[in-house]
Amino acid sequence: MGNLINENILIIDLSKNETSEEYLEEEFIKEHIGGAATNIALYHQYEDDDPIIIGTGILTGTLAPGGSLAVITAKSPRTGEICHAPVNLCIGAELKYSGYDYVVIKGVAEKPVYLWIHDAIADINDAEHLWEKNAWETTDTLRNDLGEALIQNLTIGEMGEKESDLAQVISNYWSSGDRWGFGALFGKKKLKSIAIRGMGLFDMEDEKGFLNLCLELLNESKNSQMAGKQGIIDIGNELDADLKEWLDPVLHRNSACFNMPYPGNTFLKNGEDPKILKETDVEEPGVLVTDIFEILGFKELGLTSKDTVQVLMECLKTGIDPVAAAQICINKEMKSVNEIIASLGNFKGPVNTTGKTAFSPCCPEKSVFNKFDNENDTQDWWVRRQKIAYVFGIHQTYSIMSPFLSEEKLLELVNIGTGLDISQEDVETVIAKL
Amino acid sequence: MKLKIDPIKCIQCCACEMACGYRWDRALSPVTSSMMVYRTREKKNYFGLILKQDENLLLARPEGIEIQRIGVVEEGVEADASAKPIMLREACDLCDGLETLLCVSYCPTGALQIGE
Ligand code: SF4
Ligand code: SF4
Repeated sequence: MGNLINENILIIDLSKNETSEEYLEEEFIKEHIGGAATNIALYHQYEDDDPIIIGTGILTGTLAPGGSLAVITAKSPRTGEICHAPVNLCIGAELKYSGYDYVVIKGVAEKPVYLWIHDAIADINDAEHLWEKNAWETTDTLRNDLGEALIQNLTIGEMGEKESDLAQVISNYWSSGDRWGFGALFGKKKLKSIAIRGMGLFDMEDEKGFLNLCLELLNESKNSQMAGKQGIIDIGNELDADLKEWLDPVLHRNSACFNMPYPGNTFLKNGEDPKILKETDVEEPGVLVTDIFEILGFKELGLTSKDTVQVLMECLKTGIDPVAAAQICINKEMKSVNEIIASLGNFKGPVNTTGKTAFSPCCPEKSVFNKFDNENDTQDWWVRRQKIAYVFGIHQTYSIMSPFLSEEKLLELVNIGTGLDISQEDVETVIAKL
Repeated sequence: MKLKIDPIKCIQCCACEMACGYRWDRALSPVTSSMMVYRTREKKNYFGLILKQDENLLLARPEGIEIQRIGVVEEGVEADASAKPIMLREACDLCDGLETLLCVSYCPTGALQIGE
């Protein structure tokens, strides 16, 4: 194991029901750095097997502020292009601490399976008992069966099993940045879930230098315009979406993905008084909104926030991309909650919610809270910022809030953390290939 | 010097766990910290912190701060299953020998503070 890197690629061959490992060579790391760029290289290496690649960045799972990101790369059933979906919460960190930097999933299983990745071991397990369970039941069942409540789980619901283009890969119970229909690829491969738990350890080349720079960047974050801001309401204000009054009847508590200084996730409750913070017996009181666009479409449709929570909960259980579902409701002028919920499983595309680039439009396409010097050409600035975040392993939305998290500082973190000597020129070469 | 915890300010980012893991291992590791983010009730969005002290477990939850003596289950207070892994770890020594409390330094919200 190297500094900040496992140097380990897990290869899952679903057709042969076999797993193997490949050593991540230093030259390969220097050539591709990590995250989405390495994912692309691995995608091309295994292209004939229609692979799904899941990768972490060198800073994923570290004390680098915002270091929560893992990336799923595959050919989108919705666009036909190779695209990248961000996954956050603790999924990226758990994957990295499980002993693998990258997972290549190729082929098609004969019958439903799930992957159990932990302690540098990967098992392909039977998932007949999980097939036809919704996404929430699947995460609950795996956590119970494997005896570990902190397992992170990428999973699909009914829409993925049906191989619908609108199927989303669900992160535990909540929306991921998958706007590409990657849930359909899981279904096609008969892959119900990927359960992950990490207990590893990483050394750093220059531990004091690395941690001091992390702290310096954290303090810049705390002293920036981000200070005192919370959740999707303050992000909404930056996007001219006034959510405060509308969300008030359901607004619970904000939280953050792994080592993300900004609490960008907001929990909405319609199953009990949202002002109650203590634990109650209500098992499923609401939903965690990890992507502001999940709710904006339903608001535009004219739903109340309470009804939005109810519909969103069904979207997440069914495993349909909520942004696409809302757009279909808008197109059909379907406003009855019961009708929407009854129809979700039959929703079909095409629906235009995929954006114009290979990077998920779950991240607002402008700077939030803090201005960047070079954001005048917004599309180019945004794409470059996404590329950097997806390569280094930084939460995609934190990256557009944090001008202090400059490319130079991220590169410095990588070099002092790993002991590698990656230059800005190397970064430019990697970025150009993405 | 004391470690003061305000559980309502916590955003469950886990930075304190990583910082404390470094305190014990001089490496990045999520499993050696004296502090654990209490986040097993994900569907309820219920979270807080557990701190292992020499003789106590300090539970900092939205209900407030509660101290359980290790090995003693107080009447009406059930030891939480998610606290089990922390029983095997080192107790917080307030970063003895270091200039600062690492978990406090890396906490982004002020949920952890140095108190007297
Ligand atoms: S004060 Fe130091 S030893 Fe105690 S929990 Fe914080 S980091 Fe760990
Ligand atoms: S670092 Fe602070 S905000 Fe983050 S989990 Fe620990 S106490 Fe909570």
